Amino acid sequence: MEMEFVAKRCGVRFDPPSIVLVYEDGKTKKIRQRIMPVRNFSKYSDCSQAAERLKNNTRHRAYLRDVTSRQLERLHVVLRDRLLGRTLEQSLASLRLDPNQDLNKLSDEELARKKAQMDVLFERNRKCKDDPDFVYDLEVEFPEADDHETCSWDESEDGF
Amino acid sequence: MARGTSDISELDQEKYDTDEQVKIICLGDSAVGKSKLMERFLMDGYRPEQLSTYALTLYKYTTTIDGKAVLVDFWDTAGQERFQSMHPSYYYKAHACIMVFDVQRKITYKNLTNWYKELREYRPEIPCIVVANKIDADMKVTQRNFNFAKKQGLPLYYVSAADGTNVVKLFKDAIKLAMSYKKNSNNFMDEVMRELENFELEQKEESSDKEDGVPKEEKPSLP
Repeated sequence: MEMEFVAKRCGVRFDPPSIVLVYEDGKTKKIRQRIMPVRNFSKYSDCSQAAERLKNNTRHRAYLRDVTSRQLERLHVVLRDRLLGRTLEQSLASLRLDPNQDLNKLSDEELARKKAQMDVLFERNRKCKDDPDFVYDLEVEFPEADDHETCSWDESEDGF
Repeated sequence: MARGTSDISELDQEKYDTDEQVKIICLGDSAVGKSKLMERFLMDGYRPEQLSTYALTLYKYTTTIDGKAVLVDFWDTAGQERFQSMHPSYYYKAHACIMVFDVQRKITYKNLTNWYKELREYRPEIPCIVVANKIDADMKVTQRNFNFAKKQGLPLYYVSAADGTNVVKLFKDAIKLAMSYKKNSNNFMDEVMRELENFELEQKEESSDKEDGVPKEEKPSLP
């Protein structure tokens, strides 16, 4: 079946809190913008639930078919952060993975965000029990060769 | 340290002295994949015991070694690593340690130094395996030398909790190491006990000699 609406980009509008979708109309091939206000949403709201609610909304769901729940959730996180007084930069930083950031120092919620992002890769590479090529005891040898490059992480002064 | 975690010492850990009970602890920074590794190893068979008051998760595993059933308790942190330090009871009576870092995050590798230092303060002798997790994200890391393990003389395993590479091997080897440590440290204790017994026997012999001799020898020196 041909897609009726092809999502191109999405974003947020802060006032009133809304999710914005730029899409192509499958019939007319025209690029259009749709603004979807997020209702009953406060700084205490569950972003994942709110995202699901929007995705299943009878008026919007046709447009949001190829927007993932995860992406909608992230957009809701940005909206909620604004209600909590955080800047857009802070919000985006919390949704990005910085390999040098010490995650031990984050709050539960901030850590959960980082873990959720790591889970994307985890799920993508995950081999499940039901996969035809699943091997429970998968052993792979990585022989230590002389030409192994020294890990750049070791090239510093701090006692390593 | 959070107030709740201090109660960890109330847990009964004397059981780990018995032959058929083993304690293996997991260490490493937040989000390096410790729990995911546990879950991949135990698959459907896992039944974690959340001890949230102790900020700790226990995974129980039963296996057979040399025809004998062995109960393995895997201790996993439940956020306690956020204090950059674990309660002493976490280390108490542990027979082996699995120390994990994330190959995508340098800081988790750097922090191994701190985890290892703390481990050795409490358990100077137990076997420890260093685990480079998330190799599925970048297989090239398996071509790199991570000097920390080499420098400390520790085995290094390249694993992926996502695709399962070397996860089962890691845990099976950890159990073997824990069992052999337990056996040898018991033997060591047995030897110490035997030495002590010998010592006591010798002392008794000495003192019984004295008892015989004292009256004779002491008589002349009496005023």
